[in-house]
Amino acid sequence: MKKTQTIFQDGTHKWVAIVRDPERPDSLIDTNEYLVANGVQGLILDPGGAEIFPAVFSALAAEFDPSAVVGLFASHQDPDIISSLAMWLEFNPKMHCYTSWLWESFIPHFGGTSDTFVPIPDEGMEIGLNGLTLTAVPAHYLHSSGNFHLYDRQARMYFSGDVGAALLPPEEAGLFVEDFDRHIKHAEGFHRRWMGSNEAKRRWCERVAQMEIDMLCPQHGAIYQGADVQRFINWFDELQVGILRG
Amino acid sequence: MTSTALQVSDTYPASPSGIRAAEGTAGASLDLLRIVRINEQIKAVVAVAFKINIMALNAIFLAKRAGSAALGFGVLSNELRVFSRDLRTQMESLRQLIHASVVEVSRLLQHSRYSRLLAAGVQLSGGNARLEEVLRRRDREAQARRETLSRLRRELKLALEDAFQLVELGGVLAKSAKIEAAYGQSFAGALAQVSGEFDGIVEEIRGSLETLKKSSFFGGR
Repeated sequence: MKKTQTIFQDGTHKWVAIVRDPERPDSLIDTNEYLVANGVQGLILDPGGAEIFPAVFSALAAEFDPSAVVGLFASHQDPDIISSLAMWLEFNPKMHCYTSWLWESFIPHFGGTSDTFVPIPDEGMEIGLNGLTLTAVPAHYLHSSGNFHLYDRQARMYFSGDVGAALLPPEEAGLFVEDFDRHIKHAEGFHRRWMGSNEAKRRWCERVAQMEIDMLCPQHGAIYQGADVQRFINWFDELQVGILRG
Repeated sequence: MTSTALQVSDTYPASPSGIRAAEGTAGASLDLLRIVRINEQIKAVVAVAFKINIMALNAIFLAKRAGSAALGFGVLSNELRVFSRDLRTQMESLRQLIHASVVEVSRLLQHSRYSRLLAAGVQLSGGNARLEEVLRRRDREAQARRETLSRLRRELKLALEDAFQLVELGGVLAKSAKIEAAYGQSFAGALAQVSGEFDGIVEEIRGSLETLKKSSFFGGR
């Protein structure tokens, strides 16, 4: 089963990472799910694929009351992001799913009705969570054409979806980046191949460099913290993406 | 497309596997909700049980300070400390059983969701032998999961019963401590306060366990 680790806490405002399932079949890419909780409400960021629903749900339940989860945030439409949607809705049909307007009629193939979805306009939007304001930050074409990240200004936490993702070997699968230069080698090929637009990447780097971020939390791999956040933005800014090799 | 989807949904229960899958999904999501409720209450009891341990330690120190005037109270404080340790052990085993149940129910929910879609496929295709065989295999798997869940349910009920018995003992100890406090001479007030707090917390745990025992999760299937 997956493990949970609280990575930010200020009273009842917290971020919990749901990570590293030792029972996950090798055929499934490892994913990180995150819970943002504020008092009696929680929001799950990229709740994961249908196959890992039991692992995510049971890990979450040990840490937080799943009935208090009011919404799911889907950075984009991929199956490892949101194909568990139907199961979450079986548990609580009132849950909302925040995602790009672009996927509003695609993601329902995984489940949900028109009442489920809260479409995010291209320019982004604010999402309220029991008095806390979260911001859906545009990250289009990184890698999906309708793609959002989530920023918690108060906690200085930034959920970056596939940006910052790394495919780590088991011996380097710690939750936090410990040696940036060593770590980034596991991220390079992924970013070159999956990120489709140098222009979109440049805009994202410029936007995010202005934000106050203590942790940059990707959906795969390890979390960047402290100086490694800016180090990653600089590295990404320099990287040529959208190419098959090289 | 919309009308076809509605037709599938309306006619789908006609297939036996479909009915089982639909009932399975509804049952599993309800069970999941119930088990989540139980889980939350057990988490609360575990937090309170930890508090008792600290209180018992304080009571032991207080009894030592009171010396010969609180010999009986000292003995009971030690017993309450043993009680709090046993209660935490019992709660840990409950927590493990709950965790296993959450895993099993969420797997059943996942399983029945897939089966329901497959059953709709069988029906729309007018019956496909291979798909029907898949459904039969899935039915057998679901049955095995339901049996595992029933076993967990029974074990959980027994563990709750054991916890309840333990708390009954804790209640007796707390009440005896209240009586012993009265003999504490100049420490009587402080000892009475500590034993009163014990009694209050044990009652709180007893109330939580009573509610848990009445959960609909233990009522059916």
